Amino acid sequence: MKKPTGSEIRVASPLKAWASRFALLLLVGAAFGLMLIGRTNTFLVEDTRTAVTDMVTPILDAVSQPVDTFSGIIEQAESFTRLSAENQALREQNARLLQWQAVARRLEAENAALRDLKNMVPDPAMSYLTARVVGDPGGAFVRTVLINAGERNGVEKGQAAITGDGLAGRIAEVGQRSARVLLLTDINSRVPVVVGEARDRAVLAGDNSNAPELLYLGPTAKVQVGDYVTTSGHGGVFPPGLPIGVVSAVGERGIRVQPFVDWAHMEVLRIVEYALTGILDFEAEVGAARAAAAAAAEAGQ
Amino acid sequence: MRQEEGLWHRLDVIARSISPFFVTLLLVLLSLLPLRIADLSPIVPALALIGVFFWSVHRPDLMPIWAVFVIGLFQDLLTGSVIGPGIVGLLIAHALVVWQLRFFLAASFSVVWVAFMLVAAAALGVTWLLTSIALMTYLDPAPLFFQYLVTTAFYPCLAWAFLRGQRLFHR
Repeated sequence: MKKPTGSEIRVASPLKAWASRFALLLLVGAAFGLMLIGRTNTFLVEDTRTAVTDMVTPILDAVSQPVDTFSGIIEQAESFTRLSAENQALREQNARLLQWQAVARRLEAENAALRDLKNMVPDPAMSYLTARVVGDPGGAFVRTVLINAGERNGVEKGQAAITGDGLAGRIAEVGQRSARVLLLTDINSRVPVVVGEARDRAVLAGDNSNAPELLYLGPTAKVQVGDYVTTSGHGGVFPPGLPIGVVSAVGERGIRVQPFVDWAHMEVLRIVEYALTGILDFEAEVGAARAAAAAAAEAGQ
Repeated sequence: MRQEEGLWHRLDVIARSISPFFVTLLLVLLSLLPLRIADLSPIVPALALIGVFFWSVHRPDLMPIWAVFVIGLFQDLLTGSVIGPGIVGLLIAHALVVWQLRFFLAASFSVVWVAFMLVAAAALGVTWLLTSIALMTYLDPAPLFFQYLVTTAFYPCLAWAFLRGQRLFHR
């Protein structure tokens, strides 16, 4: 029990000193033990982590709303000073985008016609779920954010999280009311991509810096600065064609990609619900298929 | 009447004794808030380290070592990094302070600040080393160095606020 002792000096007897030194070693050993458990039994760690974030997310949600409103007000005030220049730029952009819209519609019609012609399997449907970013731990070791949507809202592990600009990351852990998004730039992030007009396959690997690296490019691939990088859809985890970024540097530090996402203005994330179950659900699918086949065989007999 | 007074007095005393622990937990939550300022995200100050250090120096009876463990665990669970290195970093900071407690009791504010710089360097360095080992890769120490600088710059503000709070508590 803690005793209120004011600001007196606690004179430690030799026994207490020994006990406190023992406590330090014990707790450091416990921390190492947790580190080992964390690397081996990831389900336990995940469950604990999601339970804690579920508790904390409502608080963060409530507090980050006024923060968002406040920074929104500041941005409004700043934009008033640049109104007419912004207006002109927006008008020009609008005209360009209308042209692109016409091109896109034409291509879409062409695409549909060609698919029909070839009897191609239709792409599974995509639907979106919007969630707010309520927590940004920052720090030098991870790049993750917390969102205020969880299993209750239909979020599942492995879904892509995008902003208006492009792919931001992937859902790594899901709780009841909250979820953790592993950003592209995190050291544990690996996304299968295609690069450039030749659509060379590669893997985008984060390393906690602002420019993730392209790995596993084939030997014949020629990648230049400015090549467009999008998701490849391999593994069925992400839908194909999501914009990621452009190649920003080709050199001794490897091939670096500058993502489109504006990390500083990522207030809202769209979670992509892609109907194709990827490799993460593979075992469940195989099990279900086997059970269905067994039931059918029994019914047939 | 005296019994009621006794109850309130006891609640008051309990509240005062658990407040450093809960304030440090609040600091962990505070460090999670998304600030939406460009490029600030990797250099958010390590607020929990400041809290643990401050109360280990000024109220070691209210920041026992197991409380430091729980705070470290809470922080590692919420930030999403490997569980363990952050805890060991905070435990080392606490242990260093307790080891030299007599020195701190006689020290002025700026001397304690300089000591914080040394302790924070040790704690963050150990956390970096253990995280690198756990992830089996060489983590770039540059963002960690900037986080260290921001943390040491933040210490005086928080320490001043806590000292004022303490004086309020002990009117």
